[in-house]
Amino acid sequence: MKFVKNQKSDDQLDLVCRMCPMHLLEPGDKLRCMKKGEVLEVLTDYDQALEDIPNWCERCGQDFIGVEEDDDCYKLYIRKKN
Amino acid sequence: MIKAYLDHASATPLRKEVIRAMEPFYGQYFANPMTIYDLGTGVKEKVEEARAQVADLLGAAPERIVFTSSGAEANNMAVKGVALANRKKGNRVIVSAVEHHSVLNSARFLERLDYEVTFLPVDSNGQLDPERLAKTLDEDTVLVSVMHANNEIGTIQHIAAMAALCKDKGVFFHADCVASVGQIPIGVEELGVDLLSISAQPIQGPKGMGALYVRKNVRTMPLIHGGIQERGMRAGTENVPGIIGFGVAAELAAKEIDENRKKLESLRNDLIHGIRERVPKATLTGHPEQRLPGHVSYCFQAIEGEALIFLLSQNGIYANTGSACASKALKLSPVLGALGVAPDVAQGSLVFTLNRTNNRQEIEHVLDTLPGVVERLRMMSPLWKDEIETAE
Amino acid sequence: MYTQKVMDHFASPRNVGEMPDADGIGEVGNPACGDMMTVYIKVEDNRIVDLKYKTFGCVAAIAVSSIVSEMSKGLTLEEAKKMSKKAAAEELGGLPKEKMHCSNLGADALLKAIEDYEAKRDGRKSKDAGPEKEVKTAEDAPEAGSDRHLCAGCGKENPEGASFCMHCGHSLKS
Repeated sequence: MKFVKNQKSDDQLDLVCRMCPMHLLEPGDKLRCMKKGEVLEVLTDYDQALEDIPNWCERCGQDFIGVEEDDDCYKLYIRKKN
Repeated sequence: MIKAYLDHASATPLRKEVIRAMEPFYGQYFANPMTIYDLGTGVKEKVEEARAQVADLLGAAPERIVFTSSGAEANNMAVKGVALANRKKGNRVIVSAVEHHSVLNSARFLERLDYEVTFLPVDSNGQLDPERLAKTLDEDTVLVSVMHANNEIGTIQHIAAMAALCKDKGVFFHADCVASVGQIPIGVEELGVDLLSISAQPIQGPKGMGALYVRKNVRTMPLIHGGIQERGMRAGTENVPGIIGFGVAAELAAKEIDENRKKLESLRNDLIHGIRERVPKATLTGHPEQRLPGHVSYCFQAIEGEALIFLLSQNGIYANTGSACASKALKLSPVLGALGVAPDVAQGSLVFTLNRTNNRQEIEHVLDTLPGVVERLRMMSPLWKDEIETAE
Repeated sequence: MYTQKVMDHFASPRNVGEMPDADGIGEVGNPACGDMMTVYIKVEDNRIVDLKYKTFGCVAAIAVSSIVSEMSKGLTLEEAKKMSKKAAAEELGGLPKEKMHCSNLGADALLKAIEDYEAKRDGRKSKDAGPEKEVKTAEDAPEAGSDRHLCAGCGKENPEGASFCMHCGHSLKS
């Protein structure tokens, strides 16, 4: 697991309180509207996301940058590669 | 036989365009919009078109709209969903004392979960003073909910001012617009709200359909968990015909809002003045000017609302009341109580809610019939004798 | 919601009116609750020969007053006193359960009118024919010319225009 701190992002997706599998569906929709190279910050309180999102990034050819733990959620960072 | 149906806040007949649009989705286009084959994706497309139609009515982006089963569910989601999702921000919720039961009871439910809820009083016209709200906001406040207009007394609140106050303090603001939709503009940017509830039935759409607008980055906890419908915000196989009908009703309401408003105001004013002239000891409740274009609410001294409603319906006139006897719980309207209307006057409450289908002849029929009906009940009432004696 | 008989008595209530020379008057209920009945009776040879009433209330309340007026004419006082609280509802073919209290009200109003008549007949001071709470002592009564919105029964304030106390139902007329 890659940990990051103060990662800059171009857009944010707040999925706190949202259940599985929204943490895998929403980022895809969001990234589609972003430019290559831009970074998406995904907020989630779903523990399984720590495993799911990096795996999803690998399968979909996106760059998983890392995660930062916040007070009430995890912040996962994805860079759009394609 | 209906001679004058004036209870559109309870139910409206569906527009024929709405029925026409819905029918195929009960028949040919029955597929589940979540399925991946062409039958489903075709229906999904239509669902998203309807979402865009509803979003347009609010001046919002389609992805900000969540379809629900009703305005009440939308209110539940706004109040409970936002409060629960933002517990870390604070545990205080502020609502006005005249909110719909779905907001009041959602707030009372939060009290059981150790949230602090403040029910702000209103003035005798039913309006909440933004200054009063400003003084009540504190760092623990996470949400404020004030309805755009009240279904019982017609009063319109200063939503834009209050939403701006909340924005300054980083507090989420929700407006229940179920009573105002289709009558006055409810643009989310003009009002400046974070959440907004509407329902389809007041705009001649189908019953069983509501919607909640949620501004971007307003964290909301879903109340109905399950599959991925409504982007995980509200699970459950979509009421596709209902959504389609809602979309058409919303599009028509948006197109006709100005013309609608003018017509309603004219009929409303005729009814208000006519009643004032022809029926003694009648009190108009709610704000005399800042009220919904189609709303007329009076209290008649010394008579009781349920009896009034029944006698009117026998004359083909359909209206509503906030009297205790008319409610199964035998409790007086808390809204009239919040206005400080004395119980013996509040019992004689009569509410007319007009819409675009009403006309001058219906208003005339009401004005010809109502005075006699009120007089008849007053002649039977021991309280009316007292009124006359007091006047002497 | 209501039976045909209830609707008939509501649409054409029998015996509505007052009796300036009534032998007994019974008043029950209060507007805060939504139902109020004033019953007037004329008694001859221990029988109710005439009954009139005024009612503030819902469909059920009006129908109950009407049916009670029909049922009691010709009854002896003893027979009338035995009229059960449910009698009016039964005679009307039933009432929704949340309206059964209207049936009780009808029986209570008749009973109070009879009690009032008996008290007058026996030279006793009659029980208060008005709403339940009474002025307890002279000190509780408002002074003449004082604010009519302070309740004589419980002393609490009421909004302008109220005829009955919001808290205890006492009449606000001095």
